[in-house]
Amino acid sequence: MARHTLGVCLALVWLFASPAWAHHSFGAEFDANKPVTLQGVVTKVEWTNPHSHFSLDVTDEKGRTVTWQLTGYTVNALYRTGWKKDVTMKVGDAVSVFGWRARDGTRSAHAREVTFADGKKLFYGPPAGTGEGGTTPAVKVP
Amino acid sequence: MTRLLLVSAIVAASWCLACGSPPTGGNQEVTSVEAAAIPRAADGKPDLTGVWQGGSRRRGTWEEANSGLGVGGTGLDPSAPASPGSQQVITDPAPYQPWAAARVLESFKRRGIDDPAGLCLPLGVPRISLVGLFPIQIVQTPTQVVILHEYMSVFRVIPLNAGHHADLVPTYMGDSVGRWDGDTLVVDVVGFNDKGWLTSTGTFHSDALHVTERYTRVDKDQIDYVVTMDDPKVLTEPWTIHTTLMLRDGTRLQEYVCAENNVEVAHYERMLKDGVPFRR
Repeated sequence: MARHTLGVCLALVWLFASPAWAHHSFGAEFDANKPVTLQGVVTKVEWTNPHSHFSLDVTDEKGRTVTWQLTGYTVNALYRTGWKKDVTMKVGDAVSVFGWRARDGTRSAHAREVTFADGKKLFYGPPAGTGEGGTTPAVKVP
Repeated sequence: MTRLLLVSAIVAASWCLACGSPPTGGNQEVTSVEAAAIPRAADGKPDLTGVWQGGSRRRGTWEEANSGLGVGGTGLDPSAPASPGSQQVITDPAPYQPWAAARVLESFKRRGIDDPAGLCLPLGVPRISLVGLFPIQIVQTPTQVVILHEYMSVFRVIPLNAGHHADLVPTYMGDSVGRWDGDTLVVDVVGFNDKGWLTSTGTFHSDALHVTERYTRVDKDQIDYVVTMDDPKVLTEPWTIHTTLMLRDGTRLQEYVCAENNVEVAHYERMLKDGVPFRR
Protein backbone atom coordinates (compact mmCIF):
# COMPACT_ATOMS: atom_id res chain seq x y z
CA MET A 1 0.00 0.00 0.00
CA ALA A 2 2.70 2.43 1.05
CA ARG A 3 4.70 1.63 -2.04
CA HIS A 4 1.66 2.09 -4.22
CA THR A 5 0.86 5.39 -2.54
CA LEU A 6 4.38 6.68 -3.10
CA GLY A 7 4.16 5.67 -6.73
CA VAL A 8 0.94 7.56 -7.20
CA CYS A 9 2.44 10.58 -5.46
CA LEU A 10 5.52 10.52 -7.68
CA ALA A 11 3.33 10.36 -10.72
CA LEU A 12 1.33 13.27 -9.41
CA VAL A 13 4.41 15.33 -8.75
CA TRP A 14 5.45 14.84 -12.31
CA LEU A 15 2.02 15.76 -13.55
CA PHE A 16 1.92 18.86 -11.40
CA ALA A 17 5.27 19.86 -12.71
CA SER A 18 4.97 19.20 -16.34
CA PRO A 19 1.81 20.36 -18.05
CA ALA A 20 1.17 23.86 -19.20
CA TRP A 21 0.14 26.21 -16.44
CA ALA A 22 0.59 29.09 -18.76
CA HIS A 23 -0.29 29.62 -22.35
CA HIS A 24 3.31 29.69 -23.50
CA SER A 25 6.81 29.15 -22.23
CA PHE A 26 7.91 31.60 -19.56
CA GLY A 27 11.57 30.86 -20.04
CA ALA A 28 11.66 31.38 -23.78
CA GLU A 29 10.53 34.96 -23.32
CA PHE A 30 11.56 35.94 -19.79
CA ASP A 31 14.64 35.36 -17.63
CA ALA A 32 14.06 34.00 -14.12
CA ASN A 33 17.55 35.23 -13.23
CA LYS A 34 16.55 38.83 -13.87
CA PRO A 35 13.95 39.74 -11.24
CA VAL A 36 12.71 43.30 -11.31
CA THR A 37 10.60 45.45 -9.00
CA LEU A 38 8.95 48.48 -10.57
CA GLN A 39 7.04 51.33 -8.96
CA GLY A 40 4.97 53.52 -11.18
CA VAL A 41 1.63 54.68 -12.47
CA VAL A 42 -0.66 52.52 -14.58
CA THR A 43 -1.24 54.03 -18.03
CA LYS A 44 -3.03 51.20 -19.82
CA VAL A 45 -4.87 48.01 -18.81
CA GLU A 46 -5.68 45.22 -21.26
CA TRP A 47 -7.86 42.30 -20.20
CA THR A 48 -7.10 40.04 -23.13
CA ASN A 49 -6.38 36.42 -23.97
CA PRO A 50 -4.17 34.49 -23.95
CA HIS A 51 -2.49 37.01 -21.63
CA SER A 52 -3.46 40.21 -19.92
CA HIS A 53 -1.19 43.22 -20.07
CA PHE A 54 -0.77 46.60 -18.48
CA SER A 55 1.58 49.53 -19.02
CA LEU A 56 3.40 51.29 -16.24
CA ASP A 57 5.11 54.69 -16.33
CA VAL A 58 8.24 54.48 -14.20
CA THR A 59 10.81 57.12 -13.34
CA ASP A 60 14.23 55.71 -14.19
CA GLU A 61 17.58 56.42 -12.52
CA LYS A 62 18.09 59.47 -14.71
CA GLY A 63 14.77 60.98 -13.77
CA ARG A 64 13.15 60.20 -17.08
CA THR A 65 9.69 58.70 -17.37
CA VAL A 66 9.85 55.39 -19.20
CA THR A 67 7.05 52.97 -19.97
CA TRP A 68 7.19 49.28 -19.08
CA GLN A 69 4.95 46.58 -20.53
CA LEU A 70 3.80 43.88 -18.09
CA THR A 71 2.38 40.48 -19.02
CA GLY A 72 0.35 38.09 -16.87
CA TYR A 73 -2.53 35.63 -16.58
CA THR A 74 -5.30 34.99 -18.99
CA VAL A 75 -8.53 36.87 -18.25
CA ASN A 76 -10.28 33.94 -16.58
CA ALA A 77 -7.31 33.20 -14.33
CA LEU A 78 -7.19 36.84 -13.24
CA TYR A 79 -10.91 36.70 -12.46
CA ARG A 80 -10.49 33.54 -10.39
CA THR A 81 -7.46 35.01 -8.62
CA GLY A 82 -9.59 37.84 -7.30
CA TRP A 83 -9.25 40.55 -9.95
CA LYS A 84 -12.22 42.57 -11.17
CA LYS A 85 -12.08 44.28 -14.54
CA ASP A 86 -12.08 48.10 -14.36
CA VAL A 87 -12.16 47.91 -10.55
CA THR A 88 -9.03 46.26 -9.16
CA MET A 89 -6.54 48.23 -11.25
CA LYS A 90 -7.30 51.35 -13.21
CA VAL A 91 -5.37 53.87 -15.28
CA GLY A 92 -3.79 56.34 -12.89
CA ASP A 93 -3.30 53.88 -10.03
CA ALA A 94 0.10 53.86 -8.35
CA VAL A 95 1.32 50.28 -7.94
CA SER A 96 4.44 48.26 -7.30
CA VAL A 97 5.13 45.24 -9.48
CA PHE A 98 7.44 42.29 -8.96
CA GLY A 99 8.35 40.16 -11.93
CA TRP A 100 11.09 39.02 -14.29
CA ARG A 101 12.53 40.88 -17.27
CA ALA A 102 12.24 39.84 -20.89
CA ARG A 103 15.30 38.22 -22.41
CA ASP A 104 15.49 40.71 -25.26
CA GLY A 105 16.37 43.57 -22.93
CA THR A 106 13.30 45.65 -23.73
CA ARG A 107 11.26 47.31 -21.00
CA SER A 108 9.02 44.30 -20.78
CA ALA A 109 8.48 41.88 -17.92
CA HIS A 110 6.37 39.00 -16.70
CA ALA A 111 4.45 40.35 -13.68
CA ARG A 112 4.07 37.94 -10.79
CA GLU A 113 2.72 40.17 -8.06
CA VAL A 114 1.13 43.59 -7.89
CA THR A 115 1.06 45.64 -4.68
CA PHE A 116 -1.55 48.38 -4.54
CA ALA A 117 -1.41 51.71 -2.74
CA ASP A 118 -3.40 50.32 0.20
CA GLY A 119 -0.92 47.48 0.63
CA LYS A 120 -3.14 44.82 -0.90
CA LYS A 121 -1.27 42.25 -2.99
CA LEU A 122 -2.53 40.06 -5.82
CA PHE A 123 -0.87 37.66 -8.19
CA TYR A 124 -0.94 38.90 -11.75
CA GLY A 125 0.87 35.97 -13.35
CA PRO A 126 2.18 32.47 -12.59
CA PRO A 127 5.59 31.74 -11.05
CA ALA A 128 8.78 31.88 -13.05
CA GLY A 129 9.47 28.75 -15.01
CA THR A 130 5.93 27.85 -15.97
CA GLY A 131 5.25 26.33 -19.35
CA GLU A 132 8.87 25.64 -20.23
CA GLY A 133 9.09 22.01 -19.11
CA GLY A 134 10.32 22.36 -15.55
CA THR A 135 13.89 21.48 -14.65
CA THR A 136 14.07 17.95 -16.01
CA PRO A 137 13.10 16.74 -19.48
CA ALA A 138 10.43 14.08 -19.89
CA VAL A 139 12.99 11.72 -21.43
CA LYS A 140 16.27 10.26 -20.23
CA VAL A 141 19.25 12.38 -21.19
CA PRO A 142 21.84 10.18 -22.94
CA MET B 1 19.66 11.22 -9.22
CA THR B 2 19.06 9.51 -5.88
CA ARG B 3 19.02 12.91 -4.21
CA LEU B 4 16.55 14.21 -6.73
CA LEU B 5 14.33 11.22 -6.21
CA LEU B 6 14.47 11.75 -2.46
CA VAL B 7 13.56 15.40 -2.81
CA SER B 8 10.78 14.41 -5.12
CA ALA B 9 9.48 11.86 -2.66
CA ILE B 10 9.47 14.45 0.10
CA VAL B 11 7.66 16.96 -2.04
CA ALA B 12 5.25 14.26 -3.12
CA ALA B 13 4.57 13.19 0.43
CA SER B 14 4.05 16.78 1.53
CA TRP B 15 1.72 17.44 -1.32
CA CYS B 16 -0.26 14.30 -0.65
CA LEU B 17 -0.52 15.18 3.03
CA ALA B 18 -1.90 18.51 1.97
CA CYS B 19 -4.55 16.81 -0.08
CA GLY B 20 -6.64 16.28 2.99
CA SER B 21 -7.27 12.63 2.20
CA PRO B 22 -5.20 9.58 1.43
CA PRO B 23 -4.37 9.11 -2.22
CA THR B 24 -6.36 6.55 -4.09
CA GLY B 25 -5.09 4.67 -7.06
CA GLY B 26 -8.15 2.86 -8.29
CA ASN B 27 -11.29 0.96 -7.45
CA GLN B 28 -9.52 -1.43 -5.12
CA GLU B 29 -8.97 1.35 -2.60
CA VAL B 30 -12.51 2.66 -2.56
CA THR B 31 -14.28 1.71 0.64
CA SER B 32 -17.94 0.78 0.68
CA VAL B 33 -18.71 4.04 2.47
CA GLU B 34 -16.98 6.05 -0.23
CA ALA B 35 -18.65 4.04 -2.96
CA ALA B 36 -22.01 4.79 -1.44
CA ALA B 37 -21.18 8.47 -1.55
CA ILE B 38 -20.58 8.45 -5.29
CA PRO B 39 -23.36 10.41 -7.01
CA ARG B 40 -25.16 8.16 -9.45
CA ALA B 41 -27.24 8.84 -12.51
CA ALA B 42 -30.76 7.50 -13.01
CA ASP B 43 -29.32 4.50 -14.85
CA GLY B 44 -27.20 3.59 -11.82
CA LYS B 45 -23.89 4.58 -13.36
CA PRO B 46 -21.58 6.91 -11.43
CA ASP B 47 -22.49 10.45 -12.48
CA LEU B 48 -19.45 12.35 -13.70
CA THR B 49 -21.50 15.46 -14.40
CA GLY B 50 -19.93 18.57 -12.93
CA VAL B 51 -17.13 21.11 -13.22
CA TRP B 52 -13.68 19.70 -12.53
CA GLN B 53 -10.07 20.83 -12.23
CA GLY B 54 -7.20 18.75 -13.53
CA GLY B 55 -3.72 18.66 -12.03
CA SER B 56 -4.92 19.07 -8.46
CA ARG B 57 -5.47 16.87 -5.41
CA ARG B 58 -7.12 19.51 -3.28
CA ARG B 59 -10.77 19.34 -2.33
CA GLY B 60 -13.13 22.28 -2.12
CA THR B 61 -14.25 25.12 -4.30
CA TRP B 62 -11.94 26.67 -6.87
CA GLU B 63 -11.09 29.45 -4.44
CA GLU B 64 -10.46 27.09 -1.52
CA ALA B 65 -8.41 24.63 -3.53
CA ASN B 66 -6.25 27.28 -5.15
CA SER B 67 -5.55 29.42 -2.09
CA GLY B 68 -2.13 29.65 -0.49
CA LEU B 69 0.31 27.82 -2.68
CA GLY B 70 -2.33 27.55 -5.30
CA VAL B 71 -2.08 25.46 -8.39
CA GLY B 72 0.38 26.74 -10.86
CA GLY B 73 0.61 29.90 -8.86
CA THR B 74 -3.02 30.86 -9.10
CA GLY B 75 -3.31 31.14 -5.33
CA LEU B 76 -4.86 34.13 -3.67
CA ASP B 77 -2.00 34.65 -1.23
CA PRO B 78 0.89 36.39 -2.99
CA SER B 79 3.15 35.94 0.01
CA ALA B 80 3.04 32.18 -0.48
CA PRO B 81 5.95 30.61 -2.34
CA ALA B 82 5.51 29.27 -5.81
CA SER B 83 3.85 25.92 -6.17
CA PRO B 84 6.46 23.17 -5.74
CA GLY B 85 5.02 21.58 -8.81
CA SER B 86 6.30 24.43 -10.92
CA GLN B 87 9.80 23.92 -9.61
CA GLN B 88 10.15 20.18 -9.39
CA VAL B 89 10.15 17.64 -12.18
CA ILE B 90 10.93 14.00 -11.51
CA THR B 91 9.57 10.83 -13.02
CA ASP B 92 10.63 7.77 -14.83
CA PRO B 93 11.56 8.86 -18.32
CA ALA B 94 8.79 8.68 -20.88
CA PRO B 95 9.37 5.55 -23.04
CA TYR B 96 10.35 7.27 -26.29
CA GLN B 97 12.40 5.57 -28.97
CA PRO B 98 15.95 7.00 -28.98
CA TRP B 99 15.46 9.21 -32.06
CA ALA B 100 12.18 10.49 -30.66
CA ALA B 101 13.69 11.08 -27.21
CA ALA B 102 16.30 13.30 -28.86
CA ARG B 103 13.51 15.37 -30.39
CA VAL B 104 11.73 15.69 -27.02
CA LEU B 105 15.01 16.74 -25.41
CA GLU B 106 15.63 19.37 -28.07
CA SER B 107 12.23 20.88 -27.40
CA PHE B 108 13.05 20.95 -23.68
CA LYS B 109 16.34 22.70 -24.40
CA ARG B 110 14.43 25.27 -26.45
CA ARG B 111 12.18 25.81 -23.41
CA GLY B 112 9.08 24.74 -25.29
CA ILE B 113 9.13 27.69 -27.65
CA ASP B 114 7.53 25.35 -30.20
CA ASP B 115 4.59 24.50 -27.93
CA PRO B 116 1.44 24.11 -30.05
CA ALA B 117 -0.43 25.91 -27.26
CA GLY B 118 1.61 29.00 -28.07
CA LEU B 119 -0.16 29.06 -31.42
CA CYS B 120 -3.54 28.69 -29.69
CA LEU B 121 -3.97 25.18 -31.07
CA PRO B 122 -6.00 22.53 -29.20
CA LEU B 123 -3.88 20.58 -26.74
CA GLY B 124 -5.15 17.10 -27.54
CA VAL B 125 -5.75 14.17 -25.19
CA PRO B 126 -4.74 13.81 -22.40
CA ARG B 127 -2.83 17.11 -22.21
CA ILE B 128 -5.99 19.22 -22.36
CA SER B 129 -7.18 17.63 -19.10
CA LEU B 130 -3.88 18.13 -17.27
CA VAL B 131 -3.98 21.92 -17.39
CA GLY B 132 -4.91 23.07 -13.91
CA LEU B 133 -5.44 26.69 -14.79
CA PHE B 134 -8.73 26.13 -16.61
CA PRO B 135 -11.86 24.19 -15.53
CA ILE B 136 -13.42 21.24 -17.33
CA GLN B 137 -17.15 20.50 -17.47
CA ILE B 138 -18.48 16.97 -17.93
CA VAL B 139 -22.08 16.41 -19.03
CA GLN B 140 -23.19 12.79 -18.82
CA THR B 141 -26.25 11.16 -20.37
CA PRO B 142 -27.08 7.44 -20.73
CA THR B 143 -25.97 7.49 -24.36
CA GLN B 144 -23.08 9.95 -24.49
CA VAL B 145 -20.64 11.93 -22.38
CA VAL B 146 -19.67 15.46 -23.38
CA ILE B 147 -16.53 17.11 -22.05
CA LEU B 148 -16.20 20.87 -22.38
CA HIS B 149 -12.80 22.48 -21.93
CA GLU B 150 -12.55 26.19 -21.15
CA TYR B 151 -8.95 26.15 -22.38
CA MET B 152 -9.00 26.73 -26.12
CA SER B 153 -12.81 26.34 -26.01
CA VAL B 154 -12.66 22.75 -27.28
CA PHE B 155 -15.15 19.96 -26.69
CA ARG B 156 -15.37 16.20 -26.89
CA VAL B 157 -18.57 14.32 -27.70
CA ILE B 158 -18.13 10.71 -26.57
CA PRO B 159 -20.85 8.30 -27.68
CA LEU B 160 -21.24 5.25 -25.46
CA ASN B 161 -21.20 1.68 -26.74
CA ALA B 162 -20.38 2.84 -30.25
CA GLY B 163 -17.52 2.15 -32.62
CA HIS B 164 -15.15 4.60 -34.24
CA HIS B 165 -16.15 5.91 -37.63
CA ALA B 166 -14.29 4.32 -40.51
CA ASP B 167 -13.65 7.59 -42.34
CA LEU B 168 -11.85 9.56 -39.66
CA VAL B 169 -9.93 12.67 -40.65
CA PRO B 170 -6.97 13.15 -38.30
CA THR B 171 -7.62 15.83 -35.69
CA TYR B 172 -5.99 17.43 -32.64
CA MET B 173 -8.53 15.95 -30.20
CA GLY B 174 -9.04 12.61 -31.94
CA ASP B 175 -12.23 10.57 -32.08
CA SER B 176 -13.57 9.25 -28.78
CA VAL B 177 -15.96 6.43 -27.94
CA GLY B 178 -16.80 5.23 -24.44
CA ARG B 179 -18.17 2.33 -22.46
CA TRP B 180 -18.75 1.50 -18.83
CA ASP B 181 -16.50 -1.10 -17.20
CA GLY B 182 -18.30 -1.50 -13.89
CA ASP B 183 -18.09 1.92 -12.25
CA THR B 184 -15.29 3.11 -14.54
CA LEU B 185 -15.89 5.03 -17.76
CA VAL B 186 -13.41 3.79 -20.35
CA VAL B 187 -12.82 6.07 -23.34
CA ASP B 188 -10.98 4.94 -26.43
CA VAL B 189 -9.44 7.69 -28.56
CA VAL B 190 -7.90 7.36 -32.03
CA GLY B 191 -7.81 9.49 -35.16
CA PHE B 192 -5.21 11.99 -33.98
CA ASN B 193 -3.03 14.13 -36.21
CA ASP B 194 0.69 14.39 -35.40
CA LYS B 195 0.71 18.03 -34.31
CA GLY B 196 0.11 17.76 -30.58
CA TRP B 197 1.97 16.95 -27.37
CA LEU B 198 0.95 14.17 -24.99
CA THR B 199 1.72 15.85 -21.69
CA SER B 200 4.71 18.05 -21.00
CA THR B 201 7.18 20.01 -23.08
CA GLY B 202 8.08 18.34 -26.34
CA THR B 203 6.22 15.07 -25.77
CA PHE B 204 5.10 14.79 -29.38
CA HIS B 205 3.18 11.90 -30.87
CA SER B 206 2.37 10.48 -34.28
CA ASP B 207 -0.89 9.85 -36.09
CA ALA B 208 -0.72 6.28 -34.76
CA LEU B 209 -1.51 7.47 -31.24
CA HIS B 210 -4.08 5.39 -29.38
CA VAL B 211 -5.23 6.73 -26.01
CA THR B 212 -7.23 4.79 -23.43
CA GLU B 213 -8.69 6.85 -20.60
CA ARG B 214 -10.24 5.45 -17.43
CA TYR B 215 -12.43 7.77 -15.33
CA THR B 216 -13.35 6.42 -11.87
CA ARG B 217 -15.28 8.67 -9.52
CA VAL B 218 -13.97 7.43 -6.19
CA ASP B 219 -16.04 9.78 -4.06
CA LYS B 220 -18.04 12.98 -4.38
CA ASP B 221 -14.99 15.17 -4.93
CA GLN B 222 -12.55 13.09 -6.96
CA ILE B 223 -12.24 11.26 -10.26
CA ASP B 224 -9.19 9.06 -10.65
CA TYR B 225 -7.99 9.67 -14.19
CA VAL B 226 -5.67 6.99 -15.58
CA VAL B 227 -4.44 7.37 -19.12
CA THR B 228 -2.52 4.92 -21.27
CA MET B 229 -0.89 6.26 -24.43
CA ASP B 230 0.25 3.83 -27.08
CA ASP B 231 2.13 5.09 -30.13
CA PRO B 232 4.33 2.45 -31.80
CA LYS B 233 5.81 5.05 -34.15
CA VAL B 234 7.49 7.01 -31.35
CA LEU B 235 7.19 5.04 -28.07
CA THR B 236 8.85 1.76 -27.15
CA GLU B 237 5.91 0.66 -25.00
CA PRO B 238 2.57 2.03 -23.79
CA TRP B 239 2.92 4.92 -21.34
CA THR B 240 0.50 5.17 -18.41
CA ILE B 241 0.00 8.18 -16.15
CA HIS B 242 -2.17 8.50 -13.04
CA THR B 243 -3.76 11.76 -12.04
CA THR B 244 -7.04 13.17 -10.78
CA LEU B 245 -9.86 15.52 -11.60
CA MET B 246 -11.27 17.37 -8.58
CA LEU B 247 -14.84 18.67 -8.30
CA ARG B 248 -15.15 22.45 -8.32
CA ASP B 249 -18.76 23.17 -7.41
CA GLY B 250 -19.77 26.74 -8.14
CA THR B 251 -17.20 27.30 -10.88
CA ARG B 252 -18.55 28.22 -14.28
CA LEU B 253 -16.77 27.87 -17.56
CA GLN B 254 -16.20 31.13 -19.36
CA GLU B 255 -15.26 32.16 -22.85
CA TYR B 256 -11.61 31.84 -23.77
CA VAL B 257 -10.51 33.13 -27.16
CA CYS B 258 -6.80 32.48 -27.35
CA ALA B 259 -6.31 34.17 -30.70
CA GLU B 260 -7.63 37.50 -29.40
CA ASN B 261 -4.25 39.03 -28.62
CA ASN B 262 -1.59 36.37 -29.06
CA VAL B 263 1.36 38.75 -29.29
CA GLU B 264 3.82 36.15 -28.04
CA VAL B 265 4.21 34.63 -31.49
CA ALA B 266 5.50 37.90 -32.92
CA HIS B 267 7.72 38.35 -29.88
CA TYR B 268 9.23 34.89 -30.40
CA GLU B 269 9.85 35.63 -34.05
CA ARG B 270 11.66 38.86 -33.18
CA MET B 271 13.76 37.05 -30.59
CA LEU B 272 14.75 34.33 -33.05
CA LYS B 273 15.50 36.89 -35.77
CA ASP B 274 17.61 38.99 -33.41
CA GLY B 275 19.43 35.98 -31.99
CA VAL B 276 18.30 36.52 -28.40
CA PRO B 277 19.72 33.59 -26.37
CA PHE B 278 17.07 31.55 -24.62
CA ARG B 279 18.22 27.91 -24.82
CA ARG B 280 19.06 26.00 -21.64
